[in-house]
Amino acid sequence: MTPDLSISKEDRLGRLLRAHPGVWRARESAVDGYSLLASGVAGLDELLGGGWPRSGVVDLLSDGVNSINLVLPAVAALSRAGRRILWVAPPHVPYAPALAGQGLDLSRQWVIPAADEGDLLWSVEQGLRSGVCGAVLAWPGRLETAVLRRFQLAARKGRALAFMFRARRWRATAAPVALRLEARWDAGAMTVEVVKRQGGWPSGPHRIAG
Amino acid sequence: MQWLAIHLPELPLEVHSRGIDPAIPLAVSGRRERRRILHCNGAARRRGVTPGLRVEAARALAADLRIRPRSSIAEGRALQRLACWAGQFSSRVSLAPPFALVLEAGGSLRLFKGEGALLGAVREGLDALGYRGRLCLAPTPGAALLLAGWEGTPMRVSADDLHRQVGALPVAALGLDKQHRALLDDMGVRCIDELLRLPRGGVVQRLGVELGRRLEQILGRVPDPRPAFTPPPRFSSRLELPAEVETLDGILFAARRLLGELAGFLALRQTGARRLEWRLGHQDVPATRFDLRLVSPARDPGQLFGLLRERLERLDLPAPVREIILRVRQMEPLVGRPMPLFVRHEAGIREEEARLLERLCSRLGETRIKGLCSIADHRPERGWAYCDPRWQGDHGVSRAGRPCWLLAEPRPMKLRRGWLTFEGERECIEAGWWDGEPVKRDYFVVSTPRGERLWIFRETGGDGRWFLHGFF
Repeated sequence: MTPDLSISKEDRLGRLLRAHPGVWRARESAVDGYSLLASGVAGLDELLGGGWPRSGVVDLLSDGVNSINLVLPAVAALSRAGRRILWVAPPHVPYAPALAGQGLDLSRQWVIPAADEGDLLWSVEQGLRSGVCGAVLAWPGRLETAVLRRFQLAARKGRALAFMFRARRWRATAAPVALRLEARWDAGAMTVEVVKRQGGWPSGPHRIAG
Repeated sequence: MQWLAIHLPELPLEVHSRGIDPAIPLAVSGRRERRRILHCNGAARRRGVTPGLRVEAARALAADLRIRPRSSIAEGRALQRLACWAGQFSSRVSLAPPFALVLEAGGSLRLFKGEGALLGAVREGLDALGYRGRLCLAPTPGAALLLAGWEGTPMRVSADDLHRQVGALPVAALGLDKQHRALLDDMGVRCIDELLRLPRGGVVQRLGVELGRRLEQILGRVPDPRPAFTPPPRFSSRLELPAEVETLDGILFAARRLLGELAGFLALRQTGARRLEWRLGHQDVPATRFDLRLVSPARDPGQLFGLLRERLERLDLPAPVREIILRVRQMEPLVGRPMPLFVRHEAGIREEEARLLERLCSRLGETRIKGLCSIADHRPERGWAYCDPRWQGDHGVSRAGRPCWLLAEPRPMKLRRGWLTFEGERECIEAGWWDGEPVKRDYFVVSTPRGERLWIFRETGGDGRWFLHGFF
């Protein structure tokens, strides 16, 4: 049989590797084996190598409050699957009619409207560890390395996703997390960059449609 | 039929010692003859204090020895609470004052699948409450009590072996009065077997009808009816601490005893607690009081203990603790509760969810955690509400074209020409004229040069000021 010469050598190799489920590819690393949670945001799954990890801390750095849109479709899917979503100290009122419109099951949402730093950290960890929450969404400031590490462990234990919405100035701090992303608004579009990913490499800025 | 007797030889000491660290030397002195030590704990023994010692001598041996006068009232209450607790093992519990309980064990033997397992469970439970008991399973309540009350007797006695085991006990085990003891001593009767060999008529004549009947009851020849203990309708327990307790661990140590008692009480009634009232008494300042509320009725001491720990960790105590009182304010039946697996979307929240909610509420406060609903009101600020986090009913409908963040208060903003791009159509929202809080606004979706989308409005026919109301 003559090989199909219309495809380059690299492409053929790539196809072979992709076809084999046992081949680990760093760029498309899946933190929890092959199980990933589709982000539901156009362009984001490619950047993340398939979707959100199933558990662990996702540090989402951005200035502004719109980055919530990156996670809402996944949070909606988790809530519809019956998992709790815990919101800790959100910057504004999570507007119920709109969230329902995005497919979130409102009956699965719990909100702690305001919390001081100690209560916030404690509540996040409780939520993650409980095994009840599919995702914990929180808006903390500084997170010590030890705290992030604890969150990461708790999230793994409770099979939960911890979305930490923080300012971009925390970019250079230590990140013992599953994923650290930086989202920026630029010339009318949002770009997302993988700053750090467990078991994978960072990416360059990536335009997200929408 | 099998009877389980629980004899508590150290009850006078344990009512004082079970709430405090066993390393603190503690002794109980007599009420009338206060001058002598009646009981002492291991820490006191290690310093040379022994029962019978004069109080002054004991104090000389151990300067930090705490001495409490014996309290038969406290002992009686403790025995009653133990009877409540023992209700989880048997539906028929009788008090045998001053130091014992006896329970009909047939049912629980079936439940625990064997004598060894039942005895183990009772012993473990007593240990958790801070009591050391001698146990005996025997065919009659009298024999069980008699054998449990005497050192060195077997824990289980079968019907065939009953006569031999009872007979081997010295007559002193019957707890006769001085006059009868002297009489038997004169007759050369040392053990119960020798007493049983005497002609019955003679025994009754010399020692009274009472003793004759008691012996027959012990051996199961005549019935031995015992009044069944009726537990009080409400749970309330108080633990006095002879040594002031300041540390969290110290308070938890004592509280664990009370939660153990509570668990037995609730198990007997097939109920769970919904609200626990705690009261920590201090020396000169008013008591510290707080309630622990539960989302769903609970009786697992581990769960209740975890909640208590979280609350105590956040509590500032004004003074060391001298006593702990636990009362149950609300109970609910546990039976008929659906298994968590099957209630995912139906009424009632799942057990683990309830536990998380409890933990959060117990630290943050009842009202700090909210559920979320949308409301069919056209006014944006009225279109949503926080609701009870346990609410399982309809959480409302969705509305298209609304921002995911709403500002709690519309924020006045200046509209710079050319800065914002208007998207789509104006949406006029006019509502609320019927309840005195009318809204008449023109809403727009705008985007900033960076690409962020905002929800802004202007009062229709107003002064033209713009307000920011949400972020998409």
